[in-house]
Amino acid sequence: MLRDGRITRRGFLAGAAGLLGSMAAAEGLWARVAGAQATSKNTLVIGQSSDISKLDPHLSTTVNDIAVTFNLYDNLLSRHHDGKLYPSAATEWKLVNPTTWQFKLRQGLKFHNGDPLTSADVKFSFERTYDPKAKTNVMSVLNTIERVDAPDSLTVSIVTKKPDPLIAARTAFYAGQIMPKGYFEKVGADEFNAKPIGSGPVKFTSWVKDDRLVLDANKDYWGGKIDVDQIIFRPIPELAARIAALVKGEVDLITKIPPDQMDRVAKASNTKIEGVLYGGLYCLSVVSQKPPLDSKPFRQAMSLSIDRETIVKELWRGQGAVPNSIVVKGDNHYDPSLPPLPYDPNRAKQLIKESNYKGEELVIETGVGFTVLDREMGEVIVAMWKDVGINAKLELIEYSVYLQKIREKSFKGLRWTDPTSAYNDPDGMMWRHLSPGGPNAYWFRNARFDELGNAARFSVDEKLRDEAYKEMTRLELEYLPLIPIIQPMELYGLQKYVDWKPYANQTMEFRRFNLKLNRG
Amino acid sequence: MQGLARFLTYRLARMVVALWCVVTVVFIVMRLSGDPVPLLLPPDAPIADMERLRSEMGLDRPIYIQYGVFVRQALKGDFGRSIHFRTSAMTVVWERIPATLELAFASFLCAVVVAIPAGVLSAIKRGGTYDNIVMGVALVGQAAPTFYIGIMLILVCSLWLGLFPTSGRGDWRHMVLPAVTLGAFAMASIARITRSAVLEILRADFIRTARAKGLPEFWTIAKHTMRNAAIPIITIVGLQFGNLLGGAVITETIFSWPGIGRLAIQSIYSRDYPIVQSVVFMTAVMFVVLNLLVDVAYGILDPRIRR
Repeated sequence: MLRDGRITRRGFLAGAAGLLGSMAAAEGLWARVAGAQATSKNTLVIGQSSDISKLDPHLSTTVNDIAVTFNLYDNLLSRHHDGKLYPSAATEWKLVNPTTWQFKLRQGLKFHNGDPLTSADVKFSFERTYDPKAKTNVMSVLNTIERVDAPDSLTVSIVTKKPDPLIAARTAFYAGQIMPKGYFEKVGADEFNAKPIGSGPVKFTSWVKDDRLVLDANKDYWGGKIDVDQIIFRPIPELAARIAALVKGEVDLITKIPPDQMDRVAKASNTKIEGVLYGGLYCLSVVSQKPPLDSKPFRQAMSLSIDRETIVKELWRGQGAVPNSIVVKGDNHYDPSLPPLPYDPNRAKQLIKESNYKGEELVIETGVGFTVLDREMGEVIVAMWKDVGINAKLELIEYSVYLQKIREKSFKGLRWTDPTSAYNDPDGMMWRHLSPGGPNAYWFRNARFDELGNAARFSVDEKLRDEAYKEMTRLELEYLPLIPIIQPMELYGLQKYVDWKPYANQTMEFRRFNLKLNRG
Repeated sequence: MQGLARFLTYRLARMVVALWCVVTVVFIVMRLSGDPVPLLLPPDAPIADMERLRSEMGLDRPIYIQYGVFVRQALKGDFGRSIHFRTSAMTVVWERIPATLELAFASFLCAVVVAIPAGVLSAIKRGGTYDNIVMGVALVGQAAPTFYIGIMLILVCSLWLGLFPTSGRGDWRHMVLPAVTLGAFAMASIARITRSAVLEILRADFIRTARAKGLPEFWTIAKHTMRNAAIPIITIVGLQFGNLLGGAVITETIFSWPGIGRLAIQSIYSRDYPIVQSVVFMTAVMFVVLNLLVDVAYGILDPRIRR
């Protein structure tokens, strides 16, 4: 291989063959590990793609953090797999008058330090979210509230500034976690974030940053102790290592598996894939109004020339659905009469001619992995556009530059966005994103759209809201400030002995009724 | 002895100056690289919130005032409050130093214990099969990317052979794969330099003299050759150790090792400049102390330098 310290040709070829051979052998190694279908374990170890950043539920809404805070804390209500709201810390709720919601708390609720959970804690928690001095990350969730009253220790009365039909839904999502007023006021924000106390099915035990977060089961939890004694969150940023840890049995559950790695987990004898359709959409946001993006027929042409079926089938290996509008299937006021967004390149070419497109270059600015397969989808879409005569290119940008551009609204043409339907309602997604000042309302302003949006937001008349949202959906499809591309499947990897189904809104709740380890 | 004392004082003074320059450069570069405030608030936060946060963090003051404040606090060991973790930046970094040192030492030990004897033997048996194999493996160690080595080790040694855990920090078993991965490059470099250094020395006149004296070959190598080859070997070892400290990011990411490399990268992306400053400072300190130790070792090993 070497002669006098220099590589010979034979040596080089041998080395190259060795390298390729080892990579091929590596593929075969994955399936070799045998595993068990049952376990005697009492700990659930979860491998996430990055470490937790905050344990204070108001200070972070990232996917990895809410997986923890929805287990450390209780919400008044909880959204289950069927998409409906169920009692949690509250046992009943009703609309007393158009601007007043009343919740009745469960008896005997306690925080992890033994303090009782009362309406005063709920009042404190909700008011903190929109308190400017608290500087939370969830200021805009509950700011339709005028004030929170606690007439007795088990009753919470929420008075809104205008009628808000979504208060119940809001309490079930982030910003709705209930924090202990007494403990928080005693130790302050920083100490609370370091040693949090909640009332959820697990309590905080220890956190070694970048290594592991250990949560012990709350034996006195009102919903019953969960099926394990401990939940441990481990950050394993490298995808191959995360999958290896699952296949080897070092972790029981992993998140963020891209579709092309699905088979590794599905085919190993001890692991399985659980998928859930994301409660949101991946869309291309048309940011700029520079020609030709200011032309309605041109934007429609862009949408018509994207073969979404093929993207789902080939890039996503079938793990996703083609949306029919900017409203997610399963949400309130979803219009099932609309067909999936069509692929019609001939019509697209016609529309391009109509729009007097002169061949200007479009730019899609994307990161790599900010949303799953963002770059790959960008490349495919650029190629599809080329087929109909749209001249476009992909530009890769770094995450902090991306955030800066969002702030300054300085994107050049299009960008990816993945709005979540936070309340299973178009108000929480279509309106939140496209209302004046919304994160994707760059240039789009339509008087009728705004009129309908405002009317529906502040109305508790579901029929009125239904008509309004259906019309708004059609308007959005006409003007296309957001071009929906796919409703992806989120893929989780689990040991076969773990019986748990993931949630569409990424909350990752573990309760007695939804988590079971098969102990043979 | 007085020479050594003067030598040490001089080096210590240089150390302080070097550290100072490093930290100042980081201060300037971080502030010029972009605004951290938008990264801390949700994208739909109003401008007034941003201005308030900026003012609280002192970022709206002129840069020379910020520098003055920074200097005053740095002298007390306070490098600011981490924007992301909302606690003292130095504390966050300090928590990760043990893991970093553990990995660096393990890799270093791996590298030295394997590479130096391998390099010496290679030199002695120059041109033979052993030499070719060792130098071939060294070539792979230097050429193969760290992530490739790391992931292959996980697949083979952990998944297939079941010998070691796939990732994370724990007992000695958790350290092996990351140490070998991180140490691979250093191992290869040290082996090759050792081989060259020993070959060089073996050609020298005084070695011929020792052999002519009838000294057993073992002592020729152990005493005369190694002491003289020590200088270049210690140099490369010192350099490589410095690289181990600073360049462990990829290894730390692959093996989920909670060291400062990963922390540094995450903090750069999120513009958490107090953390970046603290990491750079601590890394610079370790590197500079290491250099000092190498210089002292030179002084002890080579009397020519002391004069």
